[in-house]
Amino acid sequence: MSFEMWAEKYRPKQLCDMVDQKTIVERLKSFAQSKNVPHCIFAGPPGTGKTTAALCLARDLYGEDYREHLMELNASDERGINVVRETVKTFARSRSIGEIPFKILILDEADNMTSDAQQALRRTMERYTGTCRFIMCANYSGKIIEPIQSRCAPFRFSFLPREEHDTYIKHIAERENVKLLSDGLEAIFEVCGGDLRKAINTLQASASMNKPVDSLLVYSVTGKASPYDVQKMLTLAINGDFLGARKQLRDMIQKYGVAGVDIIRQIHKEIFKAEIPEPWKIKLVAITGEIDFRLVEGSDEEVQLSALLARIVEAGSEIKKGK
Amino acid sequence: MQFLYTAWTVKHKPESTVEIVGNTLAIKALRDWLQSWEKGVPKKRAAFLHGPPGVGKTVTVEALAHELQMELVEKNASDYRTEDAINRFAGLASQYGSLFGGKRIVLLDELDGLMGNADKGGVKAITNIVKTARSPIVLIANNAFNPRFRTLRSYCILIEFKKPSASTILKNLQRICEREGIQPEENVLKFIAQRAEGDVRSAVNDFQALAQGKKQLTYDDVSWLAHRDRQDSIFNVIKLIIYGRTSLGAKKALDMAAVDLDMLFEWIYENVPAHFTDSHDLAEAMDALAMADVYRGRIRASQDWSFMRYVVDYMTAGVAMARQNSKVSGWVPFRFPSRIMMLSRSKAERAMRKNIGLKIRRKCHISVSRASKEVLPYLRIIFKNNTPMAAGIAKWLDLDSEMVEYIVGSKAKTGAITAFLS
Repeated sequence: MSFEMWAEKYRPKQLCDMVDQKTIVERLKSFAQSKNVPHCIFAGPPGTGKTTAALCLARDLYGEDYREHLMELNASDERGINVVRETVKTFARSRSIGEIPFKILILDEADNMTSDAQQALRRTMERYTGTCRFIMCANYSGKIIEPIQSRCAPFRFSFLPREEHDTYIKHIAERENVKLLSDGLEAIFEVCGGDLRKAINTLQASASMNKPVDSLLVYSVTGKASPYDVQKMLTLAINGDFLGARKQLRDMIQKYGVAGVDIIRQIHKEIFKAEIPEPWKIKLVAITGEIDFRLVEGSDEEVQLSALLARIVEAGSEIKKGK
Repeated sequence: MQFLYTAWTVKHKPESTVEIVGNTLAIKALRDWLQSWEKGVPKKRAAFLHGPPGVGKTVTVEALAHELQMELVEKNASDYRTEDAINRFAGLASQYGSLFGGKRIVLLDELDGLMGNADKGGVKAITNIVKTARSPIVLIANNAFNPRFRTLRSYCILIEFKKPSASTILKNLQRICEREGIQPEENVLKFIAQRAEGDVRSAVNDFQALAQGKKQLTYDDVSWLAHRDRQDSIFNVIKLIIYGRTSLGAKKALDMAAVDLDMLFEWIYENVPAHFTDSHDLAEAMDALAMADVYRGRIRASQDWSFMRYVVDYMTAGVAMARQNSKVSGWVPFRFPSRIMMLSRSKAERAMRKNIGLKIRRKCHISVSRASKEVLPYLRIIFKNNTPMAAGIAKWLDLDSEMVEYIVGSKAKTGAITAFLS
């Protein structure tokens, strides 16, 4: 077993190494061959190879010293307008040395940029096209303003299909001498839903236990990776203890940094098993869906989820009335 | 409890300039300039009123419009964040007067609100309007000498409003006493007037908080104010919101104190559960807060601050109107937002998570926040269970021993990992 992060170790280096997203990769290869790249938007869920594709493209274009022609910015860390005005502009306007006249700027998580910053970016993209091409990676292309979308070639990344996911994980397990059982692989896919980064991390964490990786191990690892108890929170809510449930929620979010969307996914799973009046279940699903969407839009996780908890408290109190 | 509420700053707003306290020179200057329009368009087509908050800038314009029988067209900061929005009402200023032959004043209030990042075009657009205006334009800001207003300033007459003295504020409070039929002890009003430090509006707000519903007011009633901090005014506001009987009453509570909206949101969010006993009411109230939050998000996304009105409606009227069956027996105290307390308490922890996130970002091409949410939990498992692998990763990520200890959560394991490294 090697002692680094496998998700990085096995990140494809060149476009031809990429096993998935075939149509996208083909188009990117043709960019590399013609040594010309338009501004691009790579949109799609996490762990589907957006950043990887951008890095591979850069390497294919510039060769091993691609880092000299590339800047990687993460918009959720540097999302303000000043970054666009200063960092991005300085990079974009300086000329590239070498055969290819332009550099590449990868703007990761671009959907987290403020709209101010996006507005500023739009001019920069236009003015410095000659010296710099932008690749914007985003989970939701809808969060990128229209004028930028229209300046970019769009690429839609989707979750890896089951077989490709399995092939990839099995390949890593083999190379790392990990005994991966078939129900373990199944469990990894079930938990990670095609997010390859998460899948590899799960595999590595399971393998670190030095045991054969079966479904039990995978579930215990992913359980530990999210050290929180959605069920306990829901029980508190159904029994009418809203403040207790909210406290749980707050701990999950603030202490353990659990993502709101993960919590809501769990809640959704539990709704139909919960002891609440039948008609309430579908009602709660409707609310869950709405809240889920709001989280995706970037609303406050605790505020939104506690609104859902309050509804669950209400559903729970209906049961008591019935008895 | 009766919470039908009108802010006294509104109820007792001066209707004529005679009732405005202090700043007589400034008022005269503005009046003269407005009247000069009768003889044709003056050289400077805009008046720029500036001075600290609560000294009567807006009130003066309103009272003068009333006295001179001019129509007042008012816009404040939230209405004109962008160049486009400003140009949309530019037409108003370029016409000679209103439909009914009367004259018109165009008032642009809260220009300081334009100071945000992306509003540069806004000041420029206003300058252009001023250059060609055919109706008097009045601009109001706290600080007219901000460099951003440099060009704009040169097209305006500047009129400074100063903080009125305590004795002038005292006169204003006496006027309100008469109108409300309150008989205060002699030193009570003096005390309030001095405390206000020139801010007439806050003096009236304080006075209302203390005096409303009373006929007599003693020094003991008010002396505790001396030690008060912001919390007390927040208590009043949230009480009026959480127990508001009417939508308008709950909304107006906001005018009572200059409370930061986000902070107020936290206070309401913290205290709603204890004050809504019925589970349906509670769900409705939390729902309203969630909607307020949705609009906060929409403001962030669109940078259109006019959505703020919906945030305000939901977090005030929305919460108040959720109360249908909830009865609160006895006095339930309001509590400081624990979410904020927790945030500051876990500050050191968050700093540590961020630093580790930065290390991960360097290697793994993901943002700091995703690193700490998506990678850190797995590192924790690996570090606890597999010392050689932990050591390898620690080296690869360039983590220091403090970071390793944070991840693994025990001194002994940290020792083992560092020992393995060397």
